[in-house]
This record gives sequence, C-alpha cells and structure tokens, in this order.
Amino acid sequence: MERSVSRGNYIINSIKYALLEIVAGILVIMWLVPLYAMILGGLKSNLEAASTPILLPPSKPSLDAYAFAWFGYATIPGLEPTMLRYLLVAIPSVLLSVIIGTMTAYFFFILSEKHEILSNSLFSIIALATFLPIETVTFPLIELETSLNVYNTYIGLIFAMLIFYVPTSALLMSIFIPVVPKYLIESARMDGAGDWTILWRVVFPLIFPGFLSTLIFVFLQIWNEFFIPLILTNTPNMLMLPVAARFYTAAYALIYNRSFAAGVISSLIPLIIFIFLGRYFIRGLAALGGGAKGV
Amino acid sequence: MRKGAILMSIPGLIFAAFLIYLLALNVYFSLLNWSLFNLRPTFAGLSTYQTLFSEYFFNLAVTHTIVYTIAAVAIGNILGILGAGILYFIKSNTRRAIYLSVFLYPLAVPSSTYAIAWQWLFNPQTGINLILKVFHFPNIIWLTTQPTIYAGMIIIETWAYTGLAVLFFLASFMSVDKSIIEAAKIDGANNLYLLFRIILPNSMNGFIVSTALLFLFSFRIFTVPFTIGGPTNPNMMSLVEYIYILFSTEYFSLSSALSSLVALIAAIVIIPYAILGLKKWVFRR
Repeated sequence: MERSVSRGNYIINSIKYALLEIVAGILVIMWLVPLYAMILGGLKSNLEAASTPILLPPSKPSLDAYAFAWFGYATIPGLEPTMLRYLLVAIPSVLLSVIIGTMTAYFFFILSEKHEILSNSLFSIIALATFLPIETVTFPLIELETSLNVYNTYIGLIFAMLIFYVPTSALLMSIFIPVVPKYLIESARMDGAGDWTILWRVVFPLIFPGFLSTLIFVFLQIWNEFFIPLILTNTPNMLMLPVAARFYTAAYALIYNRSFAAGVISSLIPLIIFIFLGRYFIRGLAALGGGAKGV
Repeated sequence: MRKGAILMSIPGLIFAAFLIYLLALNVYFSLLNWSLFNLRPTFAGLSTYQTLFSEYFFNLAVTHTIVYTIAAVAIGNILGILGAGILYFIKSNTRRAIYLSVFLYPLAVPSSTYAIAWQWLFNPQTGINLILKVFHFPNIIWLTTQPTIYAGMIIIETWAYTGLAVLFFLASFMSVDKSIIEAAKIDGANNLYLLFRIILPNSMNGFIVSTALLFLFSFRIFTVPFTIGGPTNPNMMSLVEYIYILFSTEYFSLSSALSSLVALIAAIVIIPYAILGLKKWVFRR
C-alpha cells in the first residue's frame, strides 16, 4: 500500500518537474527571439527583410548586409572605423574607472570605521551618480567640456565617462571590499604596510573576482552608452559606434537588412564578453542581491 | 585616518565633485530666463518651473514615465519572482546557469540595437502579429498609437530588465537558510507553498534591490523611445527624452528645470536606498 502511494507521488512529482522544465524552456526561447530576429534579418536581402515574416529564415542567406554595414557603401560610412574609434574611448574609460573606483571604495571602507556620517554622505553621492540619468546634466556637461576645450575630442569623451562610471565602479567595489576579513588588514598594518600596499597586495588579490565583475559591468554599460557620444561629438570623424549603428535605422531607414546587420555588429563585443565571462558578472551581481555574503 | 587612503580617494572625489558641480549648474540655469528667443539670460526665479508644469508635452512625458515605471516595477517583480522560483527548483546547476544567462543577456546588447530589433518585431505586417494571428488576435498597430504604445514599450522593458529581477530574487532565494526549507519539506510542504510561504518572505533583499533597480532603469529610459520614436512620436516620449528635446530645441532653462526635477526625484529614491538598503548589507558587522 505504502509503496504504491509513494510511486504515485513519484509520478506526480515527475510530471510537475517536467512542466517546470517546459515552462523554463518556453521562457528561454521567448527571450532569445529578438537576437534571433536580428541575426536572421541581417542574412536576408533587403526586399526579403522588408516583406517576409521577420521570424522566417532567409531563402538565400548572404553576408552582404554585414559586409556593407561593416565596410560602408558609397557615401554611407561603415561601422569599422566607428568601432575602432569607440574602443579607443571605451578601453581607457573602463580601466581608469575601475582602478580609480577601487581606490575610492577602499577609502570608503577605511572611512566607515570611524566617520559614519561622512561615509554615508559620500556613499549617497556615488550611489546618486551611479543611477542618475546622464541626460539630466546634458547642458552643463556641454558647457563644461566647451570651457575646458575638450568638446568633440577623445579626452572629452573619456572625461565624461569617468564622471559617471568612476562612481559606478566605486559603488560596486564597495560591495566587494568589506568581504575581506578585517584581521588581514590589521596584521598587514601591524607589519608596517601602507594603504597602497594593503590595497594592491592584500585586498586586491582577494577581491579579484569582484574586480572582474565590476570591470565587465562597467564595460557593458559604457559599450551601451548612447547618450554621451551623442551629445559630446558633432563631426563625422568623431562618430562613435553606438550613434553610428542607430543612424542605420534613422537616416537610411529603407535598408532593413543593413540595420539588422549594424545592430548585430554593434552588440558583438559585449555579447562575446558576456558569453565567456558572464559567470563572473552574474556572481558579482548575485552578491549584491543576496547581500554580499561572498565574492 | 591615514594619509595613504586619503591620497587614494582624491581622483574619485574629484569626479564626484564635478558631478555635483554639474547638478548645481543645472539648478542655476533653471532659475534663468534663457532660450533661443532670449539669448541674454536674465534671472527669472521659479517661473520656469511654472511654465514647465503648464506644458502639454511635460504632462504627457510625466504620464508616460509613471506608466512605464509602475508597469516595469510591478511586472518585473512578478516575473522576477516566478522566474527565480522556476530556476530555484531546477535540478541541474548547468542548466540553471544557462537559463539565467539567457534572461540576463539583454544587458549585453546596446539599447539602441535592441530597440531596432523590437521595432521590427512590432511591425504589424511581418512581426509577432503573425503569431498572434494564429490565435485569432486582431491586427495590433504597435508603437504608433495609444494605448498599444504602452504595451509595446512595457514588453521591451520587461524583456530588457526582468533578467536583473530574476537574478536578484534567485540570489536571495539561495541565501535563505537551508534548514528552514528542509524542515518544511519534512512537514510535507509542496514547492508552491515553499516558494510563497517560506522562501519569499525571507527574501526581502531581492525585493528591495530589484524594485530599486527596476524603478531607476525605467525612470531614466531614453535610448529605446528615442531610437524608435525620435522626437517625432510624442506618444512615446519619456521625461528623460523630453529633457533632450527641450535642450535640442534650445529651451535651455526649461530643459535645466526639468533636469533638476528629475535629479531631485532620483535623489529622493536613491539616497535612502543607498544608506538604508545597500550600505546596511554591505558594511554590516
């Protein structure tokens, strides 16, 4: 008797579990639809992209649209120079933000031992800077960059990125640094190590996974940054990838397949990073959600 | 306080000071009377704010932002709980990690890019309407007229940010004390009971973090309505996009006044969240 009850339970539980997996599978497929549509749209001919159902695969797949979007065609600029240009902005911005952010976060960590109110106010400022819509400082930012003579320059773009992404990095790193056991820092101090040595020789190796996830997060954010290059550049030879990719839909709206191809090309680097380093990124964000119980 | 730590903080604090300077400059500009029609700014006090509140497009943008934000927070949290609930009970760690990555990958796609893809998915002739047709839905004209424009925008936001909610709920589900769950299982609790009566009430962290982030992401949404609608589709405009439109049509003071308001709202949300929420977990000793 008992055996048949438990067997019935087993079957019911298996069915329930199968349903769970099916629901998860359906959701996952739904989430991939936009990416699928984009990749496919770029493989179609222009006529086909405009007239056939978007989710249907192309009849004669071709890489022409990708080649056009990458190299450009006649008077239409390609994405190749804009991507290289944007890498010149993004890489220094990301590295500088995260390194300066780590140092600031270490400062907060030391500060929070004794100066509660000061550390709370500074922490609020960096949190505000992290989440503030950048658009709110459009006008003063342009004024500032013009008066510093860096408007429409690489330095100007990097400077603006740092204003917004140093706080982001400092905020994320302040979540990871307190995970380091106090006694390690105390004993390093006892041995006469300065703060510079403690941060880079004692703390940094322990929080490296957190550092990596901050680096990825900030890179994704900067690669996704559309507004800063939009307002701080105004000549074709300073056109940046995020703005250029959008021009394919806005200015050349008739070339459907190329706008898909441009979309795919502009998300290639962040997607590759996400696929290969995604788990560090997720682990870092999960620490934030779970209350920073470990890096 | 040691000298080394203070020296290390200097670059970070300089950038923070720049930001505060920019915000202060905004408030100052908002108190002037400054636009294309009045290029020599004079002091105008709070009258710019008054003008702003009487603007038709301001009210439109406020309405849109409120609708997007409420929907993003409500739907994001509900789907976040359900998604995390599903992932929590999935037995294989590898599959769980893959599914989670799929929910999160929109974060790695530039928003101007996915706006393009969604614009095409919402094309009434060739997009997802063809699937809806199979289920005998009428042909929906997305993204052009109200109220379907809300539905369209909310679907895009849901797709983009639900992953974050799922991640934060899953992270807090995972940190719920395993012994409570085991005890409930022995008492014969099923999965739904476990999720809603035991795991969820112990996951306030996830709720606070995901609500704050969903609020902020939808509150500051710019690129998606800007890419899809541009300034030509007032039905889609968000507050943040309106700042830009005012600025680019050279109503400098109005743009600054609106910016100051948006920054104020952001501060009201973020500062308590930072001190009471984030900092409490981060520096708890």
